Amino acid sequence: MNRLLHTYLCLVLVSVCAVCVAPPAVRGQGSEVVIVDTRSAFRKTDILLNEFDVLSGGRKAVAGADLVASVLANDLLLSGLCRTGAGDAPADSFDFQYTIEGRVEGPLMDARTSGEESPLTVSLDLLTYPGRQLLLGKRYRPERDQQRIMAHHFANEVLAMVTGQQGICLTRIAFSRGTGDRRDLYVVDYDGEGLLRVTANRTLNLCPAWSPDNGEIAFTSYHHGQQGLYSLDTATGKVRRIIAQAGLNLGADWRPDGRELLVSLSETGNPEIYRIDPLGKVIKRLTVSRAIEISPSWSPGGGELVFTSDRTGTPQLYIIDKDGSGRRRLTFEGRYNDSGVWSPRGDRLAYATRIRNLTRLVLIKPTGEDRRIVTDVSWGNCEDPSWAPDARHLVFASDRTGVFKLYVYDVVEESFRQLTYGDDPDITPAWSH
Amino acid sequence: MKRMQQKGILALALLIMVLMVATGCSKKHEVNTEPPVPEETVPAEVIPPTPTPEETATPDANAIDYKALQPQEYGVHDVFFAFDKYDLDDQALATLARDARILKEAGVMILISGHCDERGTVEYNLALGEKRARAVRDYLASLGVPEGKMLITSYGENKPFVRGHNEEAWAQNRRAHFENP
Repeated sequence: MNRLLHTYLCLVLVSVCAVCVAPPAVRGQGSEVVIVDTRSAFRKTDILLNEFDVLSGGRKAVAGADLVASVLANDLLLSGLCRTGAGDAPADSFDFQYTIEGRVEGPLMDARTSGEESPLTVSLDLLTYPGRQLLLGKRYRPERDQQRIMAHHFANEVLAMVTGQQGICLTRIAFSRGTGDRRDLYVVDYDGEGLLRVTANRTLNLCPAWSPDNGEIAFTSYHHGQQGLYSLDTATGKVRRIIAQAGLNLGADWRPDGRELLVSLSETGNPEIYRIDPLGKVIKRLTVSRAIEISPSWSPGGGELVFTSDRTGTPQLYIIDKDGSGRRRLTFEGRYNDSGVWSPRGDRLAYATRIRNLTRLVLIKPTGEDRRIVTDVSWGNCEDPSWAPDARHLVFASDRTGVFKLYVYDVVEESFRQLTYGDDPDITPAWSH
Repeated sequence: MKRMQQKGILALALLIMVLMVATGCSKKHEVNTEPPVPEETVPAEVIPPTPTPEETATPDANAIDYKALQPQEYGVHDVFFAFDKYDLDDQALATLARDARILKEAGVMILISGHCDERGTVEYNLALGEKRARAVRDYLASLGVPEGKMLITSYGENKPFVRGHNEEAWAQNRRAHFENP
């Protein structure tokens, strides 16, 4: 597991970057199609994905080329920003502005004698269409288990070049899987591949939270029945204790600069919101009340936070400044609102509300305006939304099939896709940065 | 609950076996005495001296090994809560009054875990479960159970006692549970 997580982080070192040409004129052209976050202005970029040339290497090279091409095509589709000429749309409905070409060369012959399999060489180019002006050229030498990551890497480069937006193709989702008090943390690629279990301590592990550099995952676990906040090093797999006060040690959220976390602690007799440093030292207590105060989430700039309080008798969302002042109530509709999370763009929040015994997903502006229920009753209970760094996709848990599994919601297209499968419940997902 | 019932059944079975052995012996007695006396020795007199040194030793009530038992097995019972509530109702108060008497006598370390039904969010239920456990601990402390002997934790909705998506199951799952730490 450690090795695989590490592979992820080291990908850039493995790839051999070649040319990168981007004439200013074309950059301008690219910025014309940047998607504005309103549906009326919504338009996709069409990219023609040609079949890759396999120059040598036989079956292994063909398999590698197929894998890279399919991962890349899927990435471009999942971004919501592009079409690739595949799918249901009629051929004449596409207006290709770009094309991607690939060449794959097989393992070197001398590798056989050394007993090791040398990697494929994959060259990928992004060109204008039909002009065939080179915008981006990359040459990779991925090991077999890095081919997927390599394709994600190139997809991010393409999205940045074509749409001007940071892709989420290398992001992952951490979550809790299991039943009863045996739930482990898992990590899965944003496209549902590469599932990996990252804890194995025979207890309850919940509520993962990625540090801003994805180097650590803070989570709540139990030791001899007592709750504590722990941190998993994603490079080494080592777990350290952040804080384990008597009572709750729950709901961690890293500040965008990584220097602090929000957490709710109840040592004083009541769950309250605190700011702590990554070593567990309390910096500041932000709430004082006899109510339950939980689920803190930073605003993107770290200047404010949203949290849940039941001080009025029902759980509602509130926003306060980072010093605890300026409290204002965000939600007034519904008798049960929790799990507020601020979009990375800051223009809205997602949270969970209960309507007639079902927990539903809701979007709202930080001003309290534009409240929009996202999931209808066919989605059953929907809990624990977490934003992707593109501020467009949300992951959440739904029990629509009878067991909680993870789903991704596209805020712009208002579409859903299932992320995880299997019989065990998956809960408390967290999207990496 | 289940374990308690099993224990009860076991005890009952044991009792019946002991009774059967006892009556069996007396029957043997009769059988032995009935036939015309071949010898002078009366078996009834031979049997009594050997038994019961062990039997008299067991019913020593003061020697309960509390640590080897689950709290429910020595009479400490869980308490239940209303939906989304963590205050103690009259029934809970009555249960806890009995629990307190036994816990004071037992003097053992105990873990009180708070639980919720499946409705609601994971985090809020963890907080709610903690409130429930804390309410129980505070009330027991007010009745004289040493605070240092009570640990609390919350499992929220994660450790249901009864599976099911109806009020019957939910009511069973909204509880503060006593266990050994």
